[in-house]
Amino acid sequence: MVVRAIGLSKTFRGPDGRPVPVLDGVDVEVKPGEFVAVAGPSGSGKSTLLNLLGLLEPVDAGEIWIGDVCVSRLSRRAQCPVRGRSIGYVFQSFLLIAGLTALENVLLAARYVGRSRREALPAARALMERLGVAHRSGHYPAQLSGGEQQRVAYCRAVLNAPPLVLADEPTGNLDDGHARVILAELRGLCRDRGASVILVTHRADAAALADRTLRLRGGRLESEGGDGTT
Amino acid sequence: MRRLLPRNYLFTILGIAVGVAGLVALGAMAERITRFIDGGDRFVLGQISVAGEGMGMGTGFTAGGLLRASRIEEISRVPGVAAVQAQVMLPLNPTTSQFLTLTQELIMGVDPAAPVANRQYRELPVREGRFLRAGDRGVAVVGIDFAASRKLRTGGRLELGGRPFEVVGVLDKTLTAPDRFAIVPLDDARELWLRRDPLLVQVFAGGAGAMRRADLNTGAAVAWADGVDPDALARRIQAEVPGLNVTIPGELSRLLRQSTAFFSALLFGIGVLGLVIGGLSLSNTVTAAVFERIRDFGIKRALGATDLQLLREILAEALVVSVSGGLIGVGLALAVGALVDARVLREGQQLFLFSARLLGFALVFSVVLGGLAAAYATLRIARLSPAEAIRRGA
Repeated sequence: MVVRAIGLSKTFRGPDGRPVPVLDGVDVEVKPGEFVAVAGPSGSGKSTLLNLLGLLEPVDAGEIWIGDVCVSRLSRRAQCPVRGRSIGYVFQSFLLIAGLTALENVLLAARYVGRSRREALPAARALMERLGVAHRSGHYPAQLSGGEQQRVAYCRAVLNAPPLVLADEPTGNLDDGHARVILAELRGLCRDRGASVILVTHRADAAALADRTLRLRGGRLESEGGDGTT
Repeated sequence: MRRLLPRNYLFTILGIAVGVAGLVALGAMAERITRFIDGGDRFVLGQISVAGEGMGMGTGFTAGGLLRASRIEEISRVPGVAAVQAQVMLPLNPTTSQFLTLTQELIMGVDPAAPVANRQYRELPVREGRFLRAGDRGVAVVGIDFAASRKLRTGGRLELGGRPFEVVGVLDKTLTAPDRFAIVPLDDARELWLRRDPLLVQVFAGGAGAMRRADLNTGAAVAWADGVDPDALARRIQAEVPGLNVTIPGELSRLLRQSTAFFSALLFGIGVLGLVIGGLSLSNTVTAAVFERIRDFGIKRALGATDLQLLREILAEALVVSVSGGLIGVGLALAVGALVDARVLREGQQLFLFSARLLGFALVFSVVLGGLAAAYATLRIARLSPAEAIRRGA
């Protein structure tokens, strides 16, 4: 499923109430099975771009298409199943729910798309087994290391096998070993399942894994490079 | 429970419990006062109270002087009167104010052979032992608070006015005046009165006015026949029998209500205070608990949760939290009430009345308010985009 963004713009209000443009007319197209890195200095709009593509934030201008559906024009309610079924998120700060165990956090992804716990449980266990966190199923996030938390968050992001996975600096809080595991998994998603992955990263080694890299500066797409080059 | 509630709800439940405990405790105090006033009102509406002219003892339900036997005879002949019961009411402690009729401890002398005049209290409920019988002397039936403050049981001994009495019965809780009564045979009460009042002894010794023991009555309770208007009958007694202080039941009830208007206002204030304190505490706790989880809601919305799904989840959690907090709060209030009442019972008092309607109201109140507070907070959060909710909760 092709993901397309046309003329995306977003403006926030600063502390003094003045508008601060963060994204300004960005166009992006990601094909099925493609691994795209987004790079750029801090404040260039990388995370905002990902939030807009993931329908986590409304666009001020522009359109987002997933396949044949212009999802940015859908109602708030209609966007919910799109988020649940078609998009998986991996965040830098993991964003696990503190009051739920690792397994419950993973299964949360199934709850909101109408999958029963019984149906989703084997897949959740298999994923956690593969990522090496099955033995931590009953632990709460605070009882897990950063690497373990990110692997649990990754399991949650891909439990529903979404065609689009958005990863916002998923290795930012991890050591090299754990970062390699997550990056390899993301790469494998594209290769083995044909999912599209958009990765925001500062790491050169992470960007090197991508099919191409989008470089943002001042809210505008500055350049585009292929095969991990910018 | 673990599946229903996140771990960090413990303090929310405790917060709700404190709010509900406050509401229940204040409500129980209001209930106690209400029942007390209603009980007194019921009593005065159940009989016509009569005393002789003058000031007299000023004790009991009727202010007035000595009510002689001849006057009682005359009253009983008034058309519409069904029965007249002579009474002697003495304050247990003569040094206490006699204006606190409804709150002071009284010795009440009644003739068990005479028919009971009060239509609302045909017989006082006896918890243990028995009530007075014709021919009894030197025995007493005591109210439950009177008994509890002196640790009296049936068969126990009691000294009233320097005379020993055997307790033959303990009354059930009435939550009004009789809880603090010691009820003795009429002749015993007359004797206690004579012992206490040297002037009366001199009157008897001097044979003044051909006084007999049967004339020693502080008042009488008059019962009306079925179908008779008690207020009209009271006025007729007043007109037909000279030298009496007759209380009109309807007027006395109004007077009682007027004199307890302060308490009524006080308990209304207590009730409002309880609702405000308990309600604010509860809704604030629930709202804060929901807002604290704003980041979790952002995450859930990122995972595809709709507003309705979130609202359902939060309301279910709020229900469990509110019911748990409500039950713990009720338990807390009951425990505090029991502790305080155990302390004040030594003085023959009871401060709290935890009625079923109060406890039921507190639970429903906590659930409804908890649900409303949770729904309000959820709808506020639902307006935010998932990213904004995550940012604010970070």
